[in-house]
Amino acid sequence: MTDAILTLKNVAYRYPDGTPALDNCSLTVRRGSRTAVLGTNGAGKTTLFLHLNGILRPSAGQVLCGDNPLDYSRAGMRKLRSQVGLVFQNPDSQLFSASVQEDVSFGPMNMGLEEREVRTRVAESLLAVGMAASADRPVHNLSYGQKKRVCIAGVLAMKPEILVLDEPMAGLDAAMQQELMSVLDQLHAAGMTIIIATHDLDFAYGWADDGIVMEAGRLLAQGATTEILLRDDVQMALGGAPLIAEINRRLLLIGIDLRDNGYLPRSKGELLQAITAQTRQESTP
Amino acid sequence: MLTEQSAYANRWRRVSPVAKGLFSLCGMVAAFAAGSPRAALLAACILAAATVLGAGVAITHYLRVAAPPLLFLAASTLSLLVSLDFGTPQTGVSLHLAGAEFLQTALVCSRSLACLSALLFLALTTPLSDIISLLRRCRIPETLLDLMTLCYRTLFVLSEAVHDTMTAQSARLGYTTLTVSMRSLGSLISNLIVQVWQRSLALHSAAQARNNDGALRFLENSYANSRLSISIAVGSGCLMVALTIMLP
Repeated sequence: MTDAILTLKNVAYRYPDGTPALDNCSLTVRRGSRTAVLGTNGAGKTTLFLHLNGILRPSAGQVLCGDNPLDYSRAGMRKLRSQVGLVFQNPDSQLFSASVQEDVSFGPMNMGLEEREVRTRVAESLLAVGMAASADRPVHNLSYGQKKRVCIAGVLAMKPEILVLDEPMAGLDAAMQQELMSVLDQLHAAGMTIIIATHDLDFAYGWADDGIVMEAGRLLAQGATTEILLRDDVQMALGGAPLIAEINRRLLLIGIDLRDNGYLPRSKGELLQAITAQTRQESTP
Repeated sequence: MLTEQSAYANRWRRVSPVAKGLFSLCGMVAAFAAGSPRAALLAACILAAATVLGAGVAITHYLRVAAPPLLFLAASTLSLLVSLDFGTPQTGVSLHLAGAEFLQTALVCSRSLACLSALLFLALTTPLSDIISLLRRCRIPETLLDLMTLCYRTLFVLSEAVHDTMTAQSARLGYTTLTVSMRSLGSLISNLIVQVWQRSLALHSAAQARNNDGALRFLENSYANSRLSISIAVGSGCLMVALTIMLP
């Protein structure tokens, strides 16, 4: 299967204190996909992410990047970590240096790139997240959202093929979420595979192509978000359903099929558009 | 963080840290080269003037940062000037004001003052990350510099954690009476220790995730016209040293 960029085969992981975090977990992430990882708190999302980057090593089972099992040697890890960029949930635990520019340069410097190349990459990635004007500011004077964007820039500067983000939207205001979305869309359009852990079902339904639903360290469901998020067991595990999906379903019950417009709406904008189109159709006999 | 504020927001922020470091070094050389208290005081005044008038650090800012070390200096000068004499049982205990050593004491005190203003010049005009990269150029061991980098960053993370926890505790009446305050403070400290532990693990993972395998390497800032500013700094620094040597 050349389509899979990351694969977990029967992976189990137990924290040193004995808490089981992953249990016989198998899943695949498609190359070039936008994948949302869903699950309640403690379902194993963060542990899963730490496996993708080789920070944690499975107690049993295998992690594959492309077709090859991960190589946990020093050189293997160097290669993997420049391919898989991991953005942590709490920006304060990721930012090392007191200066924005310095912190973003951390990854590329570790990769042993030339200074000129590092400088270009730092400038490019700060521009991509809209933080170019703050390059010289001290990290501790930034707002939470700005720190989060610096974290993303720090990983982008390593030019990974796969970008893994742990709840990137948490704590951001609506405008900043929109901005981040457009950054992610640009990266995806440029061919990057993006994996996001989120609690926001509406976001997952509207944005992601693929969904991975975790429950108690196991894979509960995997597939197109438009399908799996409608499953009863998934909705039970996640404690809800995407609002747009609910509305589609209710409208269908009263005889309005929004698919008449050619597609099933996934986001608020699409839904409003579909409803407008539908009412126009009905008013013109 | 007053030092922090002016380090980032002074007129000479964009001047090469090498130039500022060399000028500060010249200040310390001048302090030791000064043969009289007058000369050392002159050096101190030049350095303070460079910080306040040159770099544009607000005078109130400057005095507030200088106050604690000045207090220490005053206390130690006093202890040098006054000596306690237990004497013989007939004469009893007596206080002596230094006479012959007065000049010596004045010289030590004025030299320390000049050294202090040389250090304040550097600290108030240069952010710590620049100072660290300056030290890296001076071949200071990497481990020490890494520790400095981490401590500096962690200082802010921790002070924020302390602030947040204290606010949360006060919101639930944590500091109303003395007993309750002591208990709250205790739980704050124990909580902080756990947080430090967890944060250190998280930082380690984050470093690994970005391909780190030991030393912390960062891109250094580049400064325009650094050659010009270095020559100006060294020139004026040498002038200052010459002045202090020539002044009787």
